[in-house]
Order: sequence, then structure tokens, then C-alpha cells
Amino acid sequence: MKKLDKHQHMNTPVVAARSVGTRVLRSEDPRLLTGRGQFIADIDLPRQLHVAFVRSPVAHARITNIDLSAIRDADGVALAWSGKDVAAFCEGLVGEMAVEGCVPTTMPLLAGDEVLYVGEPVAVVVAESRYAAEDACELIDWDFEELPAVINMDAAAAGGPVANPQLPDNIGLNGGASFGDVSAAFDQAAQIVEGRFYTCRVSAAPMETRGVIADYEWASKTLRLWSNTQMPHYLKYMLTAYLGFPEQSVEVITPDTGGGFGMKAHVYPEEMLLPLLAREVGRPVKWIEDRRENLVAGAHAHEQYVDIAYALDADGKIAGVRTHALGDGGAYHMPPWSMAVEPWCAVVMTPTGIYDVPAAEYTYKAAATNKTPVGAYRGVGYMAGTFARECLADDAARALGMSPFEFRRHNVVREFPWTNPQGIVYQEGSWRQTIDALEEMVDYTAFLRRQAELREQGRYIGLGLSCFVESSGESSATSLEHGLADVYHDTATVRLNPNGTANVTIGLSAQGQGLATTMAQMAADTLGIKVEDVSVQTARSTDHAYGSGTIGSRGAVVAGGAVARAADVVREKVRQVAAHMLEASTDDIELVDGLASVRGVSDASVSIADVATAIYFDLDSWPEDFEPSLEATQAYDPSQAMFSNGGHAILVELDAETGFVRFEKIYSVEDCGTVINPNIVEGQIRGGVLQGIGASVFEELAYDESGQILTTTFLDYGLPTMDVAPPFEIHHLETPSSHSASGVKGMGESGLIAAPAAVLNAVNDALSPFGVVLRELPLTPEKVLDAMSFAKTASRPDEGQ
Amino acid sequence: MSTTPEERLDVSMTINGRRYRSTVEARRTLADFIREDAQLPGTKLGCEHGVCGACTVLLDDLPARSCLTLAVQAEGRQIRTVEGLADGQELNTLQRAFREQHGLQCGFCTAGFLMTATALLEENATPTREDIVETVSGSLCRCTGYQTIVSAIEQAAAEGQNVTNGDDQ
Repeated sequence: MKKLDKHQHMNTPVVAARSVGTRVLRSEDPRLLTGRGQFIADIDLPRQLHVAFVRSPVAHARITNIDLSAIRDADGVALAWSGKDVAAFCEGLVGEMAVEGCVPTTMPLLAGDEVLYVGEPVAVVVAESRYAAEDACELIDWDFEELPAVINMDAAAAGGPVANPQLPDNIGLNGGASFGDVSAAFDQAAQIVEGRFYTCRVSAAPMETRGVIADYEWASKTLRLWSNTQMPHYLKYMLTAYLGFPEQSVEVITPDTGGGFGMKAHVYPEEMLLPLLAREVGRPVKWIEDRRENLVAGAHAHEQYVDIAYALDADGKIAGVRTHALGDGGAYHMPPWSMAVEPWCAVVMTPTGIYDVPAAEYTYKAAATNKTPVGAYRGVGYMAGTFARECLADDAARALGMSPFEFRRHNVVREFPWTNPQGIVYQEGSWRQTIDALEEMVDYTAFLRRQAELREQGRYIGLGLSCFVESSGESSATSLEHGLADVYHDTATVRLNPNGTANVTIGLSAQGQGLATTMAQMAADTLGIKVEDVSVQTARSTDHAYGSGTIGSRGAVVAGGAVARAADVVREKVRQVAAHMLEASTDDIELVDGLASVRGVSDASVSIADVATAIYFDLDSWPEDFEPSLEATQAYDPSQAMFSNGGHAILVELDAETGFVRFEKIYSVEDCGTVINPNIVEGQIRGGVLQGIGASVFEELAYDESGQILTTTFLDYGLPTMDVAPPFEIHHLETPSSHSASGVKGMGESGLIAAPAAVLNAVNDALSPFGVVLRELPLTPEKVLDAMSFAKTASRPDEGQ
Repeated sequence: MSTTPEERLDVSMTINGRRYRSTVEARRTLADFIREDAQLPGTKLGCEHGVCGACTVLLDDLPARSCLTLAVQAEGRQIRTVEGLADGQELNTLQRAFREQHGLQCGFCTAGFLMTATALLEENATPTREDIVETVSGSLCRCTGYQTIVSAIEQAAAEGQNVTNGDDQ
């Protein structure tokens, strides 16, 4: 079989934009605003039982005895299992990624001989009510010997006590690559700037926690599984591969979902356990995660160090970049993305960013620790990689005495297509225009004047800049270009009804992005009908269209491409019949604004609704050999990696008394090609940036020396609140993709990807009179105050510097 | 005399103008009573420890965290939930403003924001942006970045909100 090294191109139709580009109000909203949404906790099945988990209270221990008899005797308890009971059905979930140096792990569904992190499920209880199940969990009788808790990734990577016996060196991932003559760049550098940047451990913390309901009918061997997953089809495949449920009789149902952000793009032990429990007790079982569980057992994110160095030539150009990422992966690889999701992505995906760098070298390593496994969170690896790269750009600008805008403009790629040292092709972009637009939006000269004036009054404001390139429309091509062989593709089904309305089904589940609205816009314009005449079902059931998951900013691009292609097949049918009805050539028929018209003949038209009615009910309307199907299913997978771009400038003020970072304003520039719906794009920017502000200033999952997690409620784990959320000014640039449907590019992750760098750069700009540069998140009041007081005591800074 | 958590007590309350009676464990939360006993699942549970605000309902016209309130504490009282806000089968002014301002994405936190904003607008028909932020900052949203929520409440106030006052439902 021939190895595929280049991906086939799938054509998408060229259509007249009518609803695309406009602020169509969301079709999802009326039910969500009236309490009529149906989230997983809102679903109750007849005869259902409730599930609760006993989770490890310690970071690392050997289980010497476990006795569930008191639980089993408790009122209302139907079943209780420990690791031994479940191992007979499934040894665990293998986590690995097909990248160099990845050592796989198997995560048991319930802990076996050892518990490896606080929150690891140890036993599961099924009872008449959640109250009864939680009461029974208290009755567990178990003994364990505590083992050394490995909590520091540097120490873990150096050897010593073992966090997970499956990884005796504590290394889950280790590799690297070099492109171009990096050594020469560094040997001949006029100046080298370098730094070690830290992104702290955080939680995606969607407002809705995870949840699973399973219903198994033994007579027909039918399994129905409800999960608020971002990857329903993959989950279905795992249920058949790991547990042996017959594929043709498994349905995964995804209800309304209250945010996912990557945390729900994994396959979790709980999703595997519930079907087994349902089969065992012969009744439906339901588990809704509580917030403490979500903070200790939902995937964690981000924790890593990125060491980065630029070789600068005499002209101030970046001649080479070296990056090394060391991630704290937690106790296991989180299936399916693994520990690679942070350190590997951080260094491999866009080490060059917007800069014309001819040589790049990277290494990556993930250490196993006795903490919750690290998984995906909106812009995996991109955030840490962009954080290091963009903050080092400011260090370089300072070293060269240039403004952050000047340094970026001096180094930005100007000619497209551009091929980076890894061989990744960037077809188009508005990289330089982004810098110019941001400089104009912030009025940099006026800002500098105001900053100097305020410093005279003892007030410290700072402006931070961060520019990004975001891989979008995660595809087989993206995977191939980055050295992987993951296969992605989606389908969509479009059906035109007798009255000229349409129903669309896509293979992606939605978590709040408004996919039902944007996909209706794509279908409406392709069919030439009104957007309110299109109804879209996102992947509520795996019985319909196929999808590779709502991840990697792929919804608009990939589902949009499949919808456009399927709608195009139906459009051709309508054109054929309209041509027959109008006695014209099919080639001359246009479908726009509800009419099928003969191009150039003003009064020759028939409504699309009349054509649809005729196809269903009037044989005379059919051309010869017409096949009267007005329903089509088509696949889509982009033929090339595609990249959106943009940047943020963030204006902060430091409170000299409290060390608190106050956010005054966010300036955002986004270029995601053709904008389907500006409301939705702007909503993604605001929400993503605020998550970036959270990850920079407010949020950290903290552990103590014994591996005990200290942040298990929203009192300890501080999400950004309304009173700290800044206003935004958003500017759209539109550089359409040359190969996606309508030129659309994905953009769901860029806010979180790029905001933390802008925050740190802003804080460092504000701190510049104190001669201190911070490089580690989160920027707590203590760190900011220390930075200000350290400089005060060390040497009185020159206020005007 | 003390009551054990598992002891069952009679409770009766009015939700969105309709009387609900049941016998529940003393420990049963008002949120569980509303969602399960009264079958009104529009009220959401985001943290179950009183921080996120998703479960906010109006208890005698004042916002209350239904996850931290026991069902028996609502004995004899008037409760309003998100299901009671709509104007017949049309969105009310506040709901429409949330839609027009894109003040929601996943919609999980939305009921809490709507109920808190309803109470605010009933008390102060012309709040400033600062009043809104001050009052509504107790609810968490992970999707929107909040600014469009503030704008939605501002818009509803400017349009002369017709938030129903609970006695005609």
C-alpha cells in the first residue's frame, strides 16, 4: 500500500455570501435562555440508579487491604466495585501518542495495587439515590501504606522516587528535532537572549462538570451512553474496542453541554465504567461529577517549563531559535492525547510564530508525577509555546532598545506562502498588518506619554503585546505536516424538504460555540435559502453524521466544509430541475435569495421552494434520468494545514499597595479568514482571553509537599469574575483561506493561546522602573509586590528609565 | 428538638406561581427539590458550594443560592426560577437582550445570571454599568468574558424591562 504523504484536496463550492459574514442571532439561545436546554444532569431514565466514587485521599500509596462489605450492606446500595472487580472486564485505558520517545501507560478504571494521585478512583458505588451512594462511599474500609509522593517535575525527570511503576525513569515522553543550521546561528550570534518561562497547572473548569449515563439492554445487546464529551464517535469506538460492546448496537448521545474547552476531549475511566455497571445491575446508571471531583479528577492542564533562546544577528534579526519544554504530565498519559499534549505541542507547533526564523531546534520531555494527569485545554501547547516565544520577543526588544512593535515588525514574515524551518507551509496571513493594527489601536505614542506621566504620580501601567499563529481546522494534513499520522474527517448530511427548508446534521458535538447557527449559515448560503429555514442537529447521536471530535479549532472549518459539500450536492439537484422547469441550461442556473434564476435573464426564475415541492410531488418537473434524492452526505478534511493569526495588546495597571493586576483594556486583532458570524468570533475572543487572564493571574491548582491538592473548590481555585473582566476593542482582518469552504479558518483557541504572553509582557512593562522581569505564572499579588519592593530595597530605580 | 439529616419532613412552597408539596429528607437541597421534585431543571448546579451562582433562584424576590438552601427552609415561601421568566411563549426583554448581546454561549450559567439580573432590575430600574457589575459579579461564567452580559442587562434596563414580578404566574 502506498504511503500517503500528501493529502487529497476536497473541493468546496463557491457561493454568494448572504448570511455568512452577518451577525445572525443564535438558534440555540431561546431554549438556553428559558431553562429548556437539556444538559446531562437534566436527563433521567426510568429505573435509573446513581453512581458515586471513592477517590484516593493521598497522592501515592500501596493498597494493602480493601473491603467493600459495609458499603454493599448499606441501605439502597445495589453494587460496589473496587479495582479487582473491574480489572476482569478492562485492564485500563492505554495512553500514548505516536511521537518520538513516548512511553505508554495504562490507566486502570479503578486503582489497582497502588493509587498514584489524589482523586484517583478507588471504588465505585451504585445506589438508589446520589445521597445514598455518597453515604455508602463513607463506609469504605481500606488500608494503605503511603509511598513517597513525586511532585516536582525537575526532580522527577532527574530520577529518584518513582511516581508510576510503569514509568521507572519518571519519563513519559522524550524527544527532539533540529531544522536548519541552528548551531551556526548560535555560534555566530551577535547576541543571545534566553529565558525559562513557567505556565502553572490550571483547570479548564467548564461551568458544567462531566457526566455519564449508561443504559444497557441485554436482550438486544444495545448500549446507549450519554456523555457530555467533545468526541462522541471516538468514545463509541473505545466502548467497542475496550469493552467489546457490539459496535452496531452502541449509540453515544451528547446532550447540550456546558463548556468543554478540551477537558471533555478525553476518554475517561468513568465513561468506561458506567456501561459495565449498567450491564451488571441491569438498570440505567447515572453519574454527575461534582465540582471537587472535577477539580481533582478532570484533566489538569498547562504545567510546564519552557526554556527558549533566540540567536540575534548584528541586525537584530532572529537567526535561530532553541526551545526545550519540560512538562509535568501527572500520573498517567491521559487518553488519547497523552502527556505530549503540552510539552510536545509547545515546541513542535509553531516554534517560529510570526517571525522569519531560518533555523529551529527543539527538545521536549514530560515527567510523571503523583498529580492528576494533564490533558487538553483550549490551545494545547500553543499557549506555553506562544507564551515563551512572545515574552522572549519582549526580552529581545528590551535588549536591542526597540519597542515591542518595532522588534516584531523587524522580524515578521512578509512574503507568503512562507515555509518555516520544519517545512510547514503558511499559505497566507496578515502577520505584519496585525502589528500595525494593534499599534494604531493602542496609540502607542500616547500610551508612552501617559505611562510616563502616571509614573511621576507613583502609578504603574504597562502595555503587553502578543502575536499568534493558530493552527486551525485540525486535519489529517495538519497531522502529517507535524510528523504524525492521525486521521481526521467529518461528514455532514443535508436534506432539502418539500417546502424548501433544510435539515442539516453534523458529526461534531457542540459545547456552546453556536455550531448549530454557523452551520445553518453555511448551508443556507450554499442552498440559496434563508438561514431561518435551516435547522441543524449537532452530533446529538453517533447514529448520524460522523466526526473526529470538536477539538483543534476545527468546527467551523471541517464541519463547515462537510456541510457546504453536502449542500452543494443537493444544490446541483435543484439546479437540474430548475433548468428543466425554466427550459434553460443547468450551467446557467444560480441559487441565491430563495430563487433559482437563469443568469443574465432577469425574469426567468422559480422559487427554490417551488423546485423542492416539484421534486417531491411533480413527476413532470424531473429531467430525464433524474434521481429524486434531496439528501446528501459528504465528507470533508482539509488538504493542507491552515493557520489563522492575530494578536492582543493588553493594558494593565499594578496596584502598588496590594500588588493586584488590574486589567484596563484588551485590544484584539483576529484574522480567521472569512468570518461566518462576527458575534460568535468575538465571543470566542473575549471568552478565550479571559481564560488567558485567569491562567496568568488568578488560577493555579496548588499542591503541598505531600502531593495533596489544595484547590478543590471555587473558593480556593479562583476563576476570573465580572468585576475584573476588562472591556475589549476587537478589529477583524480577513485573509481568506485559499482552500477551505468560503475561506473560513478556525479561531476558537487563540484567546487563551495568546493572552498570557500579553499579560506577562504588560506586567513586565509596568515593572520596568523596578528593574525586575517576571517569567512565571501565575502573577499573584505577592509576586508583583515582591518585584516592586525588591527593587525598592535593592537600589532606588531611576523613575524615568 | 434536633432533626437528623435523613429525617423526612413535609414541605410546601410556591414555584413560579404553582404550589408544590412533598415529603423530603431534611438534608435535601432546594436545588434538588426544584430540579427533581418539581421537575424544573432549568436551574443548574455548577459547584454545589455556593460560589458559581448557576443555581441562583429568587426566594421571596431576593436572589438565593439554591444549592446552599435546604428545601425545608423554603417552606411556605415564593420561589421564581428561569422557567417562569418568559413572556408567554416569547422571550422577555432581559432574555431577548442576552440573545442580542451574545450574553451566553454554553448557557449553563445563564439561569443564575438572569435571576440575579431580574432581582436587580426589579429593585433598580436604571442601574449604571457599575451597579450591574457590583450586583452580578457573584456569578461565574467561563465562556463569554462577561462584558456582553453586562451589556445585555444594560440593554434590558434601557428598554424598560418588563420583568414579571412573580404574582401573576
